Amino acid sequence: MSKEVFLDCLGEACPIPLVKTEKALAKLEKGDVLIVEVDHSCAMKNVPEWAIKHGHNVEIEEVEDGQWNIFIEKV
Amino acid sequence: MKKFFDKVKNNEFYKAWFKDAFPYITGAVLLSVFQIITYITTGSPWGVSGVFADWGAWIFRALGGSVDRWFAYSSPSAQATLEAGILNHAGSWRNIGIIVGALFATLMASGFKFKKIKSFKQVIAAMIGGLLMGYGAKVALGCNIGAFFSSIAVGNVAGWVFAVFLFLGAIVGSKLLVKFFM
Repeated sequence: MSKEVFLDCLGEACPIPLVKTEKALAKLEKGDVLIVEVDHSCAMKNVPEWAIKHGHNVEIEEVEDGQWNIFIEKV
Repeated sequence: MKKFFDKVKNNEFYKAWFKDAFPYITGAVLLSVFQIITYITTGSPWGVSGVFADWGAWIFRALGGSVDRWFAYSSPSAQATLEAGILNHAGSWRNIGIIVGALFATLMASGFKFKKIKSFKQVIAAMIGGLLMGYGAKVALGCNIGAFFSSIAVGNVAGWVFAVFLFLGAIVGSKLLVKFFM
């Protein structure tokens, strides 16, 4: 059974969201979804870039002005 | 009105120009072109942190202090800059432009947000980091713009030396970050 896990990176500056994402994703199983909450626009660029490079499925949702949820499905 | 903004939001030119980040290559080309224009129009290479030191000197003078005997401000050209005032200082206008431009870009992408401070640790780290950056930029006669970017652009070997140690410093900084903030 795949699960969804939230990762709170609000108020964190680069590169902390990326390092936290790498660590959190390593703990998950295939098919699980990690939802990274960020409000730092540079994390909005480097987190998806890293995830796509490693072959995961990525979707970005704009929650409100200056805040995003990055959905990463582990492959 | 809402209909209008919805239409703008989905417009491909709005997305390409304002909403989405420019590709790295576009940013690199724009920075190069504008630093050449800066050099031609102001007569000196692009720098950022030196201006903050000048602002500090002006504030110190406004409070009744004197920087005339400080090594950094004892030269005739530094004295002339201070005498001419902030309104005649190209670097000050440029730094103000960078701040206003960054705000404009954020607002145009509707990405403006007041962020909460996550922990007291962040505050301490920001203060130590700011002090080290300011001190380092002053003793190195420039930050990663003046002593690195502009220096390399004008063919100065010092820029490459700065680059090597910038890289080493970034490695140490990343290790500290992971140690204290993870």
